[in-house]
Amino acid sequence: MLKINNLHVKLEEEDKQILKGVDLEVPAGKVHAIMGPNGSGKSTLSYVLSGRDGYEVTAGDATLDGEELLDMEPEERAAAGLFLAFQYPVEIPGVGNMTFLRTAVNAQRKARGEEEMSAADFLKFVRAKAKDLKIDADMLKRPVNVGFSGGEKKRNEILQMAMLEPKMCILDETDSGLDVDAMKLVSEGVNALRDEGRSFLVITHYQRLLDHIKPDVVHIMAAGRIVKSGGPELALEVEHNGYADILAEIDA
Amino acid sequence: MSTAVKMQAALISADARPASGAWLADARADAASRLAAMGLPTRRDEYWKWTRPDSLISAVADTAEVLDYEGEEPLFSDVDRLKVVFVDGVFSAEESDALEGEGLEIERLADAAAKDIHWAKDLYGVLETRGQTPVNRPIAVHNTAMATDGVVIRVTGALSRPVSLVYRHEDANSDAILHSVIRLEDGAELTLLENGPAAARFSSVLEVDVAKGAAFHHVRAQGRDHDRQAITHVFARVDAEATFKSFTVTVNGKLTRNECVIDIVGDNAVAHIAGAALGDGAEHEFHHDDTVFITHDAVACESRQVFKKVLKNGAKGVFQGKILVKPDAQKTDGYQKSQSLLLDDDASFQAKPELEIYADDVICSHGSTTGAIDEEALFYLRSRGVPTPIATDLLVLAFLADAIEEIEDEDIAADVTGRLDAWLARRRG
Amino acid sequence: MAGVDELIAKEGVEEETVEAVKSLAGAYKYGWETEIEMEYAPKGVNPDIVRLISDKNDEPEWMTEWRLEAFARWEKLDEPSWALLNYPEIDFQDQYYYARPKSMEEKPKSLDDVDPKLLETYKKLGIPLKEQMILAGVDGAEDMPAEGRKVAVDAVFDSVSVGTTFQAELKKAGVIFCSISEAIKEHPELVKKYLGSVVPVSDNYYATLNSAVFSDGSFVYIPPNTRCPMELSTYFRINAENTGQFERTLIIADKGSYVSYLEGCTAPQRDTAQLHAAVVEIIIEEDAEVKYSTVQNWYPGDENGKGGIYNFVTKRADCRGDRSKVMWTQVETGSAVTWKYPSCILRGAESQGEFYSIAITNNYQQADTGTKMVHLGRDTKSRIVSKGISAGKAQNTYRGLVSMHPKAKNSRNYTQCDSLLIGDKCGAHTVPYIEVKNNSSRVEHEATTSKVDEEQMFYCRQRGMDEEEAVALIVNGFAKEVLQALPMEFAMEAQQLVAISLEGSVG
Ligand SMILES: Nc1ncnc2c1ncn2[C@@H]1O[C@H](COP(=O)(O)OP(=O)(O)OP(=O)(O)O)[C@@H](O)[C@H]1O
Ligand SMILES: [Mg+2]
Repeated sequence: MLKINNLHVKLEEEDKQILKGVDLEVPAGKVHAIMGPNGSGKSTLSYVLSGRDGYEVTAGDATLDGEELLDMEPEERAAAGLFLAFQYPVEIPGVGNMTFLRTAVNAQRKARGEEEMSAADFLKFVRAKAKDLKIDADMLKRPVNVGFSGGEKKRNEILQMAMLEPKMCILDETDSGLDVDAMKLVSEGVNALRDEGRSFLVITHYQRLLDHIKPDVVHIMAAGRIVKSGGPELALEVEHNGYADILAEIDA
Repeated sequence: MSTAVKMQAALISADARPASGAWLADARADAASRLAAMGLPTRRDEYWKWTRPDSLISAVADTAEVLDYEGEEPLFSDVDRLKVVFVDGVFSAEESDALEGEGLEIERLADAAAKDIHWAKDLYGVLETRGQTPVNRPIAVHNTAMATDGVVIRVTGALSRPVSLVYRHEDANSDAILHSVIRLEDGAELTLLENGPAAARFSSVLEVDVAKGAAFHHVRAQGRDHDRQAITHVFARVDAEATFKSFTVTVNGKLTRNECVIDIVGDNAVAHIAGAALGDGAEHEFHHDDTVFITHDAVACESRQVFKKVLKNGAKGVFQGKILVKPDAQKTDGYQKSQSLLLDDDASFQAKPELEIYADDVICSHGSTTGAIDEEALFYLRSRGVPTPIATDLLVLAFLADAIEEIEDEDIAADVTGRLDAWLARRRG
Repeated sequence: MAGVDELIAKEGVEEETVEAVKSLAGAYKYGWETEIEMEYAPKGVNPDIVRLISDKNDEPEWMTEWRLEAFARWEKLDEPSWALLNYPEIDFQDQYYYARPKSMEEKPKSLDDVDPKLLETYKKLGIPLKEQMILAGVDGAEDMPAEGRKVAVDAVFDSVSVGTTFQAELKKAGVIFCSISEAIKEHPELVKKYLGSVVPVSDNYYATLNSAVFSDGSFVYIPPNTRCPMELSTYFRINAENTGQFERTLIIADKGSYVSYLEGCTAPQRDTAQLHAAVVEIIIEEDAEVKYSTVQNWYPGDENGKGGIYNFVTKRADCRGDRSKVMWTQVETGSAVTWKYPSCILRGAESQGEFYSIAITNNYQQADTGTKMVHLGRDTKSRIVSKGISAGKAQNTYRGLVSMHPKAKNSRNYTQCDSLLIGDKCGAHTVPYIEVKNNSSRVEHEATTSKVDEEQMFYCRQRGMDEEEAVALIVNGFAKEVLQALPMEFAMEAQQLVAISLEGSVG
């Protein structure tokens, strides 16, 4: 599904190399996790994949189902099925959450040549999904993320994911800021979406999330590179020993 | 005969014109003809909507009694500085320090004028002329034509001590016109202090050219002689990575209008301009006008305007401020704050805080508030045992703090605060 | 009656069919023209034309005199130039000051008499004149039940009112809603008393011209303690070429009454600029409340700045009575040039004025708009929320005055002016005047200017919206507070207008 090949990225405005050759492949239906120290480039990777401004790809490429991602506009990537749950979801004052969702859903449908969803169908759809995530009606009416608590913002991201039904979901620290119950809810939301056609790339610092969303592969990212990959046990190792051992092992 | 024509006639008669070398004579002649073309300000001019220019342009200055400072040390007395003293607009050699210093060229305008060639030629009247669009500032033009003296300063390094212009007022009928030119070369630093009432009527123009990476700090205190009038203009050009900071404190004065025209022409420059005014119209008129025009004509520059006025007993405050962001002046960060505290029902405040923006990647804003003292804060202080008059003054000083914070030097800032406190205390009795 | 003899019918209308024009119209939905035979007064303005207009409306002598006096004053005035507007000089003698559909010569007595082309025009504009509304003069038909919510409409086509609906039902409630020309004849005592009492004849250049040559407009009187049983609206349509529209609206809300009034405007797409100079006067007595909402969508000119309406409008509400209240809401998306400052005179104690505005300029449009809040009475309150959006090569200026007079003790004003810039060739400007002459009042003014937030754009696009969609969404959010102040139906329309007005502004 997602193939990243020798990806090098620097900041557009500064001479700062952030990704220094990332290689990563997430096959269809799989859940991969990325862990790694603060500032190692995890969010940068997710932004570059989804087409945020401010970065320059100096080498390498990335494809989604064989399609070259990096040439596309952000909305084309979204329509192609790429979804990013932001580490810091953006607030948009004045724009109702519901309006936002509906515009997004219909924009993607249109881009894919599908028919737009009627207001009534949409309403039913969103209410059902919101209920699963215990998002109350009031939150749907409020402006996008404005005044939402940290946990509410993250749940709202998952709601959007559930509505848009992407095939490649990148979750950037969706677990941070969630209380224990919310973590469970969000994980259930994610697990409900798991199927053989859909892949996940879960960026996290904690094993806790991976208890709920069982990853097939865990990668460790450090200094702009994937330095180690392994099974779920790798996450446990990080949880117990931190990164020091792994990093030392690589340096050696 | 209109005043403009009268002034023009005065200019042409040889003895009315101060002796000057060719370079200065040319600048004066140019100003005289510009003035004749634009005429003097009238009450109908939009730019003079809230301040009457009449007494600033009358043929004879109104009398202003000299205030008895009762032995009070003037501001900046403790500061190690190079002192240049003007008494009623006339240079005082014995009170002034020797005009010299390391990294510094300093002389009187009158002396510079005697020279045939002078670096100030590129600045005298030049920044002033640039400042005439889009609005005319005829009194500044008049000053360029008629100034009797002033200082010209060129700085090449970082000065160890500030230059301090001291303006004493001794003659109740004096009418002073001074014009100073300052050039900071690349990376140079200068703190300019100005204080004192200067004259019964004082017209001042300051042209400041701040070259790349240079830093100019300006702190000004306008004397507290009650009936004095002042019309001042600062014209500044600020180049890349340079800093321009100017702060003015005003207490008393029948009429004060401080115009400041700043042109930011180089990228990543910073320009701050602030003012604190305290006026009590009980026994003497008080009218204070800040008119500011900041033009952003370069990328990624920052400008700040912070103006605070505390007014009572019929005191009047005016603020006209504008941020103009030219096309291509992207990444501009411009902020303007004008606030007035009206301590009683007779005081009034009029403001026109303008934004004119032709570039899109900018963050520009302004805020203006006018009103009485915060009753809740007052109550809080009183509930802690502070008597109302003291509590009020505390809140007044707190209100002025934002503007005073713009003074770079902490000792001077503390001194200014002290003077304001004393002014308030005198009125508390 | 020299003027009447000179009346000529303009020969031959535009060649293009309505459909052809429509297909050319692109973003502007209302750019088509109705092919209808018109009669025009000769071009230009002079006392004869003023008399002719008065005569066409069968006006009494006092009205004619009033107009002539205004004209004499106008001749002595200069066109103002202080606004941040830049347009070619207007030749006031190269305009038609009176144009009306020939079919309106005789007032229609029944629905069948109304020119079907007129009905068709309003139907196409989405004004439910035919199904829901019954034209004035159609006997006995007024009380037909309407579907949905009722809105009474006064439709003004070029210089004349073509019909006012629901008159009888309104009459039952004591409400008078008719064209101003009718009011001059039927209710001279009210017109005489109030006309020009809020916007004096010599108020400003355009208002003075309007006073001389206004051809029609709406008149509303709400009697004491009456809540107007439905929303009232006027729909203005400029159709004829080279014709200035000068309408005059007079609204009187007597003690304890309430009315919500809507105004909509469109015009065909043409290469030459057209003039529109309206005056709206509102009188609000004790405890009365008026809401006045405008969706101004005159033809803005094409993407090269050709054609469009020059819109010079004077609107003012006089809150005469204690506790009276006015709320202006405007969505200004059209016109090549807009010069408009709906104002509130807060005379009565505890009276309140509100101004909510969205002004969108794109391509070469220019808008200089805002409000005046003049606080005269004690405990008066005002609130200004202005959202300016500038795109393309457009210039957008907020200009406003907040004045607290010495007697306006304990008054409050809050002003928020935000500007959004889309693209680096446009401008956004803020010119507020603040005058405070007492210390028990509080004035707060805040203004910001910025471009559309990049993070927000990226977030929307990551969710699949294209740039234009994302901008429209974010701009609608930016303008939310104002959109919310509009009546429901208008809000929906306005929201779509925001998107349409910004078409082609990104990328
Ligand atoms: N726009 C930017 N400007 C300057 N530095 C940036 C920018 N974007 C990223 N960086 C820097 O690049 C590095 C990688 O950042 P990134 O956000 O990708 O880290 P991360 O692995 O997601 O960290 P965390 O675990 O804390 O979320 C950091 O040093 C960060 O400061
Ligand atoms: Mg991160």
